[in-house]
Amino acid sequence: MAEALVELIGLGKRYDGAVAVEGVDLAIAPGEYVVLLGPSGSGKTTILSMLGGFVPPSAGRVRIGGVDVTGLPPARRPTATVFQDYALFPHMSVGANVGFGLRMRKVAKAERRRRAEEMLRLVGLEGFAARAVHNLSGGQRQRVALARAIAVAPAVLLLDEPLGALDLTLRRQMQEELVRIQKRLGTSFVHVTHDQEEAMSIADTVVLLNRGRIEDSGPPDRIYLRPASVFAATFMGESNILAGRVVAAVAGACRVETPLGLLPAAGAGRVGDDVHLLVRPERLLLGSTGGDETVPLGRGGVVELSFQGTHLRCRVEAGGLSLLLRLAVDAPVAVGAAVELRVRPADLVLLRD
Amino acid sequence: MRLRDLPAVLYVAAVLAFVFLPVVTLVQFSFQDGLLPVPPFRGVSLRWYEAMFADRRLMAALRNSVAVAGLSSAAATALGFLAAYGLARRRPRFADAIQFLLMAPIAVSYLIIGMGLLIVFNWLALPKSLLAVGVGHVVINLPLAFAILYSQMGEHQATIERAALDLGASEAKAMLYVTVPMLWPALLAAFFIAFTLSWDEFVIAFLLSRFDATLPVIIWSMLRSGLSPELNAVGTFVFGTSIVLVLAVELLLWRGRSRNG
Repeated sequence: MAEALVELIGLGKRYDGAVAVEGVDLAIAPGEYVVLLGPSGSGKTTILSMLGGFVPPSAGRVRIGGVDVTGLPPARRPTATVFQDYALFPHMSVGANVGFGLRMRKVAKAERRRRAEEMLRLVGLEGFAARAVHNLSGGQRQRVALARAIAVAPAVLLLDEPLGALDLTLRRQMQEELVRIQKRLGTSFVHVTHDQEEAMSIADTVVLLNRGRIEDSGPPDRIYLRPASVFAATFMGESNILAGRVVAAVAGACRVETPLGLLPAAGAGRVGDDVHLLVRPERLLLGSTGGDETVPLGRGGVVELSFQGTHLRCRVEAGGLSLLLRLAVDAPVAVGAAVELRVRPADLVLLRD
Repeated sequence: MRLRDLPAVLYVAAVLAFVFLPVVTLVQFSFQDGLLPVPPFRGVSLRWYEAMFADRRLMAALRNSVAVAGLSSAAATALGFLAAYGLARRRPRFADAIQFLLMAPIAVSYLIIGMGLLIVFNWLALPKSLLAVGVGHVVINLPLAFAILYSQMGEHQATIERAALDLGASEAKAMLYVTVPMLWPALLAAFFIAFTLSWDEFVIAFLLSRFDATLPVIIWSMLRSGLSPELNAVGTFVFGTSIVLVLAVELLLWRGRSRNG
């Protein structure tokens, strides 16, 4: 990784003794798209506010571009924020909104107008400069807020649940555009959301937060495929979690006794440890024989089946557990049928609690 | 309309008549073509309005009223704005207590406020004057201006100000370029409400003025020498001005709501 642009060092925040954020260490590279993901109350917005300078941390430092900005107000940080409710200036035109940051930097009027028009073109609102803010749709306001923030050419752009108020179609479209704009500008984006699908589709790095701490952080595919904890596994998509106990361990691999039998798993464990195994719904296979690379999980009964367009969502009861499967739409299953379950050992992920 | 609704309709009509008949009569007899503002109504004439505008004492009082109302309302609005801004944005310690003290004068009668100011001004050896009246009107209007403006400084507005700070504005610039223009309708509404109340305020103006008086005080002293349609004309003029201002406030607040909504 290149030299870090943003460094959070031991960052913490308490409100009247209640911990909102604790011990957060994070490095963000130039041009990286980082998503802070977590349920409400996990501290993600508080971290963003401490990055932007709106909330003073109770502990730790914030460094941007090698400079300690912990004590600096928002105006003197190389950050700009896209607020959750957009916070556009209601009494100004779209162009004046976008040019506001440049006006504060004493940029001449003609140059301001040119830059504002350029930013509006970038977000797909060419020719909107003279419009009044209160005549815009939600999606358009979102774009103006984005244009206004990037107009000041921040080193880091902070986005606080920017797509939360948009409907699903618009949200998907804006996700793609955010990534396109971010790659084009080369600016680091820090984006807060509670939507794991949004996080997966846009992030270079997902930082998963739980109760004010970093639970897991890394590329979205790594977090999805090899989550660090049960919380990370369950928050990042649908999952089946099998509780078990390690009965044999060799270097880098172990065997775990579970309700579905004795299963091999990659990862370090000690004999006698209580552990959990993760298997994603799309990794559970049907069939009595599946070749040498699969292991059997025993028999079960299909109790629920629903057609989802791209796949079948199927619930199977086996070994006293309710398992979720994601099957091809032409899979030969019916409610009430008995099925044999199999899994590739590589798809069994050993989790720490 | 059904028959059983009749008592309700009559009742509403009676209430409205009770409220508006005196005003309607006042206005009607300001156009009286005769020497007394009492029935019978002798026909429409503008002679008493002509007399009013020719009356130098009344015109001096009108100028005094406009000056007192304009300056005291501007002062009350400015002070109310700063108090609301400080309380809403800085969240000082004892904010609730400060808010209570700012609002307290609204519960005190004008007579008490006037007497209190009279005693204090006496003690400070400040003479009765229009300035003293203006100070009194700031005292009664500050709570209203504060309440109107404080209600408009919610979390949504706070985020908008935060956006200005984030984009590089100093606090003073954020206030000048964002907070004040954003609250412009509320600021004007506070100003006009304060103006209306100052415009026809009598008790404080009576207690604290001596040679220069405002319109309500002059009307009162003219009433002592008997009824005249000229007084009706003055009353109509005062009333009409208030109505225009109240409508302006309604319009401003309505526009502010529809724009933020």
